[in-house]
Amino acid sequence: MTETVIFYAFSAVILLSAFLMVTSKNIFHSALYLALTLFGVAGIYVLLNAYFIAGIQVLIYIGAIVVLTIFVINLTKEIIGEPVPLVNKNILPALITAGLAGTLIILALMKTKCLAIAAPVDHPINDTATIGKLLLGNYMVAFELASVLLLAALIGAIVIVAKDKEEAK
Amino acid sequence: MILTLTNYIMLSAVLFAIGIFGVITRRNAIGILMSAELLLNAVNINMVAVSKYITPTEMQGQIFTIFIITVAAAESVLGLAIILAIYRKRMKIHADEMDLMKY
Repeated sequence: MTETVIFYAFSAVILLSAFLMVTSKNIFHSALYLALTLFGVAGIYVLLNAYFIAGIQVLIYIGAIVVLTIFVINLTKEIIGEPVPLVNKNILPALITAGLAGTLIILALMKTKCLAIAAPVDHPINDTATIGKLLLGNYMVAFELASVLLLAALIGAIVIVAKDKEEAK
Repeated sequence: MILTLTNYIMLSAVLFAIGIFGVITRRNAIGILMSAELLLNAVNINMVAVSKYITPTEMQGQIFTIFIITVAAAESVLGLAIILAIYRKRMKIHADEMDLMKY
């Protein structure tokens, strides 16, 4: 019962702040609402016994991605505090697309009875040590590829943002 | 009233719909990137929930979520770098004004 209450509380936080994020006029407020949404999602992970995922959600998403986004918002000064219309003319198509996508998934869920199952009893092996063993065992290749991808992204970001030599002179 | 897998998938479906709405309506390119993060988070909730309810011993969903978060970080960094480069050249970051390669 407590679990259900916590689930609905976190769901309310997530959906409300996500809605405020996509409708907020100020892009800076939007970034802060994004942080709140991601925090709620971390709470959902804790509810699902995925403690490691919840940890990296807070560290990487809130600690790195949102902070980086706020940096870029501050660097592109043009928009701060200025009442530029942040929303374009696509509201009707967007409502139709989002509504159709959401209703389709929810209708399909309503028809699927076999998904309405309670949680199985938690297994004692479901912990961070197991994730570590799996990452460096079965999923070793994917793990190494991820590190190459991160290196490529790092170098790519530097190359894209760095000034040209002629420009710097 | 007990929590089932349906509750979690429904939450992620609504979050996904909000994300799509954000991606289509935002004019600011940074806003579009932030809405794309919502889409990825909706997928991650699905992954972790299915991992707990269907395959509780194998944890494939959680492993996959870690890789999705890694790729999302790389995507976000490169997207913001491109936005910064465009801002430097053209002093604007509204997606409907970036039409140099449109025709």
